[in-house]
Order: sequence, then structure tokens, then C-alpha cells
Amino acid sequence: MFGLAEPLTSELKKALLGWFYPARYNLERWAYALQRISGIAVTGYFLAHIVETGNVVGGLSVWNVPSFDVARDVWTATFHFLENPVFDIGLVVIGSMLAYHTINGIRLTLTEFGLLQGRPSRPDFPYEPKSFTKSQRALFWLSVFFAAATAVYALNVFFGV
Amino acid sequence: MKESTRMLLHYVTGLGIVAAGGLHLFTVFLTGPYLQNLAFSGGAYSVIEVYRNLLLAATLELLLIFVDYHALNGIRVILIEFHQGQKWEQGVSWILAVAGILLLVYGTRTILIANALA
Repeated sequence: MFGLAEPLTSELKKALLGWFYPARYNLERWAYALQRISGIAVTGYFLAHIVETGNVVGGLSVWNVPSFDVARDVWTATFHFLENPVFDIGLVVIGSMLAYHTINGIRLTLTEFGLLQGRPSRPDFPYEPKSFTKSQRALFWLSVFFAAATAVYALNVFFGV
Repeated sequence: MKESTRMLLHYVTGLGIVAAGGLHLFTVFLTGPYLQNLAFSGGAYSVIEVYRNLLLAATLELLLIFVDYHALNGIRVILIEFHQGQKWEQGVSWILAVAGILLLVYGTRTILIANALA
């Protein structure tokens, strides 16, 4: 199926290990894995958010637009349903992932347009990636710091920490 | 669309999300008590007031467009890194394009109705 060279499960296993298990690789690979994980997680939040807000104004019932009072009641009920420690912890995690994805995404945008790349040079042992320059590393750690700061802020908002 | 154009749009929408998403988070968390802003109505930046404000509702629509493209193109990048081949890549592109348009229509419907809700 799909013209895969190997059975789907073994291709999938290889891909997931390669993408999400960066322990054998360098820091840039960690940045890549985290960008991918956070991107998928925030996409999940986006889909849930579209469904959640859509439900308030009648969901999939195309021709029945609810009244103001019905919309208010659905919104309030949804809000109270989601107001629990499990969901709040989820928001803390999603928030910090979004923070990481933002700053690391700005680093990747700068990279895309050839900024902060350093000069080309001969690859030498131990083959550190030359393009992952000091300023690139600084931006990576800034994104990790921003993620942590967002987690602290969110904990303060939701749990009063 | 050329791959380079798709990726250029990916970065442009990414920067757009920083601006529009920043404003969205700003109105929810930094314009007053967060519980008042997440109440349906009552405060200056409560849910329905944000949708009724034409500028803020337009920002939400922009944010929807940007995130829709950015998220689905991100999934496309992941899926064509998982496997290569013309059939696979075109199939993935078409399915995600249709899904993206459906999401955009559904989200826009939410914004339009919420904006007009009396």
C-alpha cells in the first residue's frame, strides 16, 4: 500500500524513532524534534478550539443559528466542563509548547532567509554543525527559556502558583 | 503551487500568527481579569464583545486563515518527509487542502455568527 519500501508499521517505527528520539544526535536535532512535537500538539489544540467555539454557535446544524441566550449557556457550560486541573495542566503544557514553537520558529525563519548562518568551512572532526552558530544556539536556548517562563505564567494564572 | 512558494507562505503565515495570535492572547490574558475575559459577556473584552468588535473579529479571521495554512502545511511537510513519491505527495496535498478549506469555512461561520449574535 502507498508504494512503501517496507511494511507501513516498520516505516512508521523508523520515522518516529528518527524524528522523536534525538538522544544520539546533537542539539540542533533536539530543536527539530521539539519543533515537530510542539507543532503537532498545537495543531491538536487548534482543531479542538475550532470545534469548541463552533459548538457555541450551533455546531454542524447549518440552518439553525442559536439565540444569544442559548449560545451563552453553551459557552458557560463548556467553560465549566473544561475548568478542571487535568485540562488546566494541558493548557500549561500547550502554552509552553506554543512559546517554544514561536521563538524556535523565528530562528528557523531567519535560517530560511540565510541569516545567522556563519561562514562556510571545511567539516572537521567531531563534525559539529557549523551552521548552528552561537547566535542560533542563543535563540534555541531563548526559546527553551520562553517556554519555561510561559509555563510559570500559566501555572500562576490557572493555579495561583 | 511550487514547493518554494508553499514554504515561503509557511514562514509568512508563521510571522502573521506571531502578530495576530499575540493580539488574541493579549485580549484574553492581559486586558483585565482573565475570568471576566473568558465570560460570555459583561466585560469590555468578554467573548462576545471581542467578536462584535470589527477590528478584533477581523484579527480572529486572519489568525484562523494563518493557523489553518500553517498547521496543515506543517502536517504536509511531516507526511512527505515520512514517505516520498508523486502519488503520495499529491494525495496528501489534495486531502489536506480540502480539510483546510472545510476548517476555514467552519471557523469563518463561527466568527460571522458570533459577530452578528443578538
